[in-house]
Amino acid sequence: MQSILAVDDSASMRQMVSFTLKNAGYSVTEAVDGQDALEKSGQKDYDLVLTDQNMPRLDGIGLTKRLRDNPKFRGTPILILTTESSDQMKQAGRAAGATGWLVKPFDPAKLIEVIGKVMR
Amino acid sequence: MAETTHSDNGAGVGIDLSQFYQVFFEEAGENLDKMEQLLLTLDLDTADDEELNAVFRCAHSIKGGAATFGFADVAELTHQMETLLDKLRRHELQPTPAMVDVLLASGDALRSQLARHQGAEGDAYDTTELLFNIRAMSSGEAPLTPVAAYVAPAPAPAVAKPEPKVEAAPEVRPIPAASTADTPFRPKATPDVRLIEVQVGPLADVKQADSLVELFQEITDLGTIEPLDAGREADGMRRFKILTNSSDGDLLDLFSFHVARDKVKLLPLGPGYGFHAGAPGAPPPEEPSNDPGYGFFADAPGLPSNAAPVHHPDGQIVGGPAPTSAAAAAAESASLRRVAKPTAKADKPASTAALESSTLRVSVEKVDQLINLVGELVITQAMLAQNSNGVDMAVHQQLAAGLADLERNTRDLQESVMSIRMIPMSMVFSRFPRMLRDLAAKLGKKVELVTQGEATELDKGLVEKITDPLTHLVRNSCDHGIEMPADRVARGKPEQGTITLVASHQGGSIMIEVRDDGRGLSREKLLKKAREKGIDAPDSMSDSDVWNLIFAPGFSTAEEVTDVSGRGVGMDVVKKNITALGGTVEIDSAEGYGMKVSVRLPLTLAIMDGMSIGVGDECYIVPLASVVESFQIQPGMIKTIGGSGRVVEVRKEYMPVIDLEQVFHVPRFDFEHHGGIMVVVEAEGGRVALLVDELLGQQQVVVKNLEANYRRVEDISGATIMGDGRVALILDVGSLVRHSRH
Repeated sequence: MQSILAVDDSASMRQMVSFTLKNAGYSVTEAVDGQDALEKSGQKDYDLVLTDQNMPRLDGIGLTKRLRDNPKFRGTPILILTTESSDQMKQAGRAAGATGWLVKPFDPAKLIEVIGKVMR
Repeated sequence: MAETTHSDNGAGVGIDLSQFYQVFFEEAGENLDKMEQLLLTLDLDTADDEELNAVFRCAHSIKGGAATFGFADVAELTHQMETLLDKLRRHELQPTPAMVDVLLASGDALRSQLARHQGAEGDAYDTTELLFNIRAMSSGEAPLTPVAAYVAPAPAPAVAKPEPKVEAAPEVRPIPAASTADTPFRPKATPDVRLIEVQVGPLADVKQADSLVELFQEITDLGTIEPLDAGREADGMRRFKILTNSSDGDLLDLFSFHVARDKVKLLPLGPGYGFHAGAPGAPPPEEPSNDPGYGFFADAPGLPSNAAPVHHPDGQIVGGPAPTSAAAAAAESASLRRVAKPTAKADKPASTAALESSTLRVSVEKVDQLINLVGELVITQAMLAQNSNGVDMAVHQQLAAGLADLERNTRDLQESVMSIRMIPMSMVFSRFPRMLRDLAAKLGKKVELVTQGEATELDKGLVEKITDPLTHLVRNSCDHGIEMPADRVARGKPEQGTITLVASHQGGSIMIEVRDDGRGLSREKLLKKAREKGIDAPDSMSDSDVWNLIFAPGFSTAEEVTDVSGRGVGMDVVKKNITALGGTVEIDSAEGYGMKVSVRLPLTLAIMDGMSIGVGDECYIVPLASVVESFQIQPGMIKTIGGSGRVVEVRKEYMPVIDLEQVFHVPRFDFEHHGGIMVVVEAEGGRVALLVDELLGQQQVVVKNLEANYRRVEDISGATIMGDGRVALILDVGSLVRHSRH
């Protein structure tokens, strides 16, 4: 089973994402913010990191940067969930080393579709 | 969250979002509380980035969930709030009190909207003016109308009901269609809100398209619009991102008033995601599309090995190197079973996630049933203890030890169970900062609220009942107590008045004080007013008796009745409510310096410590908290005054004697043990001596409501079942003290 690290400070979003992914057959680990995700990233390997952008303590861009510093995550797809799809935001994501973005709000089917594109 | 089984359709995505509504509502409620708290403590001049960010995040988080779960009205309002807050945190705008007012009012509106989505009755909250004001402020203008006086018609949100989480979800229902006339949006059970891209052009003057933005500002029902141009206006095209639930046809009809219809193109905003060219994990080529809402970055890590160039909205070509995730895949199977379980939540005690897994929501009924059963157990234990009195304990040592254990365990069990119902006073106190802020603004006063002892715990039932009386006291202090800033300065006081709320445990009761440093009570005014009202008020009255006058029915000290307090129903109702809870109210005041109202309440209503006393063949319970002392009567102690009144002298203090035998008409058959003992009790600031035959002992009694099981009896507050199975009445000491005065 492929495993995904789902990071969001909002419990309802986190549950929705996690439930959707589990339903689609992925194994999911939840993290409540970037810092939490960083700690969890050390405990095991993931096939994909799905992170919210705006979070307390450590945001999605910051998390991406930190993960890319870790050789283990150098090649792991990282998707940032964001409400803004501005170029500025995209450039920041790109500079941090993110694989892609997904604009909120999205429905579960969209999430599975996008993830299907990066998961092999 | 319990797993609900879903029929997999295709990719396994037939997911019913309504199962997440309840979590969203709770989360939104928490975010609103947090936002309000942050806004109230926000120092406008020195607000730091972290504070502003935190407020922003609250609105942002609600917006994200609301948009995802299809609550368009909530998403719309939070979107506007977010826009304003974003400018504040970026220091493009300076926060003003008016902004805080608008944001607080928006919070009220959101609560109301959320409550309606949870099925609460009531009219839809009209947010037109709010939206207008927020937009005006975001663009740096002054609001149309002052906003401080919004009062939320918020129906009690269903979220307050402690319900099992999952079962509660089906109750969540969307607003009935009938209310569409006054609801900006018609929220649906399934998300109907879409993100679309609008392309306008080519236009001779690109500014022409700005009228579309204005359109969205005028018609709030439409949704939100954001420019997508990013400096690409040069081609004469304008692009916007629109969040709406209106149909394409409706939108085109509206837009055609401003730009030619054939120049408007509505496009689905792509798949709503994107990949960066060359990014790790980026997928194989895709159909070209306008901003698909997602993308992959070129050269970023994580790209799959077969990634071929894909069109990218930024004009980059995706086609990055292949990362090797084979190692990750290999490691996965070994570690998966162990780590991937959602045990991770317990890691952070501070986070909400941790709280979720370490707390359990249980219905109040279940807890009350538990308390009742423990109550019965306490009675049974008392019965056993009493019955064992006749047993020779030297012979039955094991029985004695067992009974002692039972007594200790019963008491521990009872305390544990009672503690389940205990909630901190902060639940009550937390509502006052906002209330005082609005009230002070309305009255033109400056008031600071200081709270102490918020962690003090109190029975949930009491908390609910004490909230209204306390609210009244705090309002009173602000309205009648605290003077206008100019008056305060003239009296040499700081311009800002202070209202202090203190909660503390004192023995078996909880003490709540409401203090203010305002003008205090005026003895002369109170006496004058009392006489006007026909109340007997001699000049010789003690201060505390004078202060107690304000508890007289219909007594209001304000010369002008305001709409804040002083509507005639006031302190007398407060006192009645507190007395009904088995509590007492005392006032202390110094004219010109302020006043203090002390409310003393029992910790719980269900079980209390009592002293059992015998009168004739009857047994009564006196609440231990009100017993001061007891003594044997010596000859000459009791004096008769006036006609029938009797007083007893204790350490040079005279107090009325109440003969319980007479009060309750106790039949007497044994004249030898007649009334040899005095029990001095205190309540409502007065002391009386109860004349009784004997003291039977002290014990915990389970309070049974007499009114519910029989009827209201004067001077009796309840009943209990004694260890021997007899029913004993619990004395209402406050009532006895009041009777002694007349």
